[in-house]
Amino acid sequence: MRITSRLVVPFIQIYGIYVVLHGHLSPGGSFSGGAIFGASLVLVALSFNLETGAKQISHQTASLLESGGVLGFVITGLVAIALGGNYLSNRAAGFPAGQAGELFSAGAILIITVFVGIKVASTIVTLFYNIIEGEK
Amino acid sequence: MEMLSGIIDNYYYMVAIILFVIGMYTMLTHANMIKKVIAMNIMDTSVFLMFVAIGYTHGAQAPIIKEGADTIYANPLPGALILTGIVVAVSVTAYALSLIVKIYRYYGTCDYDEICEIRSQE
Amino acid sequence: MGLADHFPALIIVVMFISAFLSPLLYRWAEKVSSYFVTASLLTAFVFSVALLVQVQQSGPVLYYMGGWPPPWGIELRADPLRVYILIVVISVSLWIFLYALRDLKHELKKTVIGWYYSLYSILVGSMAGIALTNDLFNLFVLMEICAISACAIISIKEDRECLEASFKYLILSAMGTGCFLLGVAMLYMATGYLNYSFIQVELAEAIIHYPLNIFTAAALFIAAFGTKAALFPLHVWLPDAHASAPTPSSAMLSGLVIKIYAFALFLMFYQVFPKTMLDTIPLNEIILWMAALGTMFGSIYAMIQTDLKKMLAYSSIGQISYIFMGIGFHHDLALVGGFYHIMVHAVTKALLFMTAGVIIYSTGVRKISDLAGIGRVLPLAMLAFTIGSASMIGIPGTGGLISKWYLALSALEIGRPFFVLVILASSLLNAIYYMPIVINAFMHQEDFQHDVRTVPLFMQVSLLVGMVFIIISGFFSRPVVSLLEQAASLLF
Repeated sequence: MRITSRLVVPFIQIYGIYVVLHGHLSPGGSFSGGAIFGASLVLVALSFNLETGAKQISHQTASLLESGGVLGFVITGLVAIALGGNYLSNRAAGFPAGQAGELFSAGAILIITVFVGIKVASTIVTLFYNIIEGEK
Repeated sequence: MEMLSGIIDNYYYMVAIILFVIGMYTMLTHANMIKKVIAMNIMDTSVFLMFVAIGYTHGAQAPIIKEGADTIYANPLPGALILTGIVVAVSVTAYALSLIVKIYRYYGTCDYDEICEIRSQE
Repeated sequence: MGLADHFPALIIVVMFISAFLSPLLYRWAEKVSSYFVTASLLTAFVFSVALLVQVQQSGPVLYYMGGWPPPWGIELRADPLRVYILIVVISVSLWIFLYALRDLKHELKKTVIGWYYSLYSILVGSMAGIALTNDLFNLFVLMEICAISACAIISIKEDRECLEASFKYLILSAMGTGCFLLGVAMLYMATGYLNYSFIQVELAEAIIHYPLNIFTAAALFIAAFGTKAALFPLHVWLPDAHASAPTPSSAMLSGLVIKIYAFALFLMFYQVFPKTMLDTIPLNEIILWMAALGTMFGSIYAMIQTDLKKMLAYSSIGQISYIFMGIGFHHDLALVGGFYHIMVHAVTKALLFMTAGVIIYSTGVRKISDLAGIGRVLPLAMLAFTIGSASMIGIPGTGGLISKWYLALSALEIGRPFFVLVILASSLLNAIYYMPIVINAFMHQEDFQHDVRTVPLFMQVSLLVGMVFIIISGFFSRPVVSLLEQAASLLF
């Protein structure tokens, strides 16, 4: 079990990052990709003991990432106001939008997706740790 | 006869409504708290099934633009609604389960009727 | 000015920024976090007053999120009624927060106060969003945020009663949400739009082809919002939840959260469903009769309570039924009465809960029978309780009379004097359980039995502000009433 999880976790993380980054090109996006990434960290904590899991991502880092993720989302919307459009505008505010179908098209969506993916992953890890550590 | 053919044509909607009623009934009457949370999930999932059944177009592709082909695309709106709904349901489930863990530590039982008995005697 | 165009979105955004910065600030720089949340509430208040000025000058303001016009995008709409509710929500939240700054250190553990500020900001932001949004799915998401944060500010106290009460509230609220989502699915099936204005235009024709869908949606909405706003038979979660929560949470929940759902039901009936529907099918009769029963039963249950906060919670059921009566009469004066009561009852019930909190803070007493003679020891708190009770009963000179006056006037105008009797009888029942506390507090022979701590300045100032506002709203009600009359006349 431990050897399998140690082998598989990097692939799960890469798959999670792939789903997050290709949110505008294929099904998936921020929530599912973030959940996959978070699930990989929970898998480490479940198959080894909790200290190894806690070394991957500490409490302070998780709480910082959570707040930072949402603040990044909100500030992207405010940047759209500063650039001239309404709140959370995309092409109307001048975010760089390339050709449809490439990775770096649809400017603001990619930035928002990455922030929300980080937040969802850290939320899942935090929820897991709070429930488990609360029992002790 | 018309009603029977109406039911058979729209069986997705029928199943969604039946699941909704099962979920609501279980949530309100069964005593075990974890069963209530599961029933809430069933209820929310049935509404998502209803959304999917509404948005179905026969023979349509997933709503992502591919080069060249000029096919019919399915409606992307129900998909976005369901994704948001799933996130909301997961959050409520996570919060409810953590409340159940804490209640279990205080009262020693997962049975809601027993908890009401204990509360009424205090 | 460039920023003034974005006020509808900025009000919500400011609250969410403060919600997510305050845990970080509380961990590293404690004092700054409370100043920061107060500053963001003040900013939101200033923006909403500026929005009111804008709406008065140039009519309803429509704001497209992301620059996408509806039906592709989410729309925020600010018309006079919505901005009125927005100002009520933000100003009462600011007032309760100033009280909470001192009270929370006494009621909660030290490590969770940062999270309390965060939940409070999320709650205020989501209520502001419910008041402003013009899109059904945005309403669903904001309703869920409001429900989870409302349950969380009850259960953050973590003792036996509030956990069970919070779980009951969560389950019933989730049932309401399921019904609401099914109603949205029905409406989407019939029209294909999610924007209020577009649905209203489409439903005017679609109601002939799909009547059963639309009535099912209306019935599901009544069930959903009735559960969340504690309409009479669906009120069972309210007493435990509001009585066992920390005092600022009780004030916030009883004062604002249940009313924003009544307002959302009003928006459904008058801005989503077509205007002719309520004339032909009298759905508001159901709400009217349930509300009439609620005023009676709320008071009857409150009379037999022994715990102070539980009595106030049962009294909330009776008072929210007045607001539902205002929606149920289907007449413009009734809407004026109901909406005025939203403002008056928010301030009054928050004042009463704050008084109960002051009493618990300084003496630790919660039972009503132990309150004998407390008026001589805590005069300011009991004066606040007296003025609050007077407003609940409807004594002339306080704001409570104005709303009951308009409700009774509209009951006479639509030719149903029975409801005037209902309003009078419920006022009498209110007097039966509020007056003994006041009389006992001031004129009891024996002195007060327990020890008394001094009340901090912040709490005293909060009580004073509340009292002054109730008396002003009783005498100088003309500006608000004329705004409400103008807005209500557009709907009929």
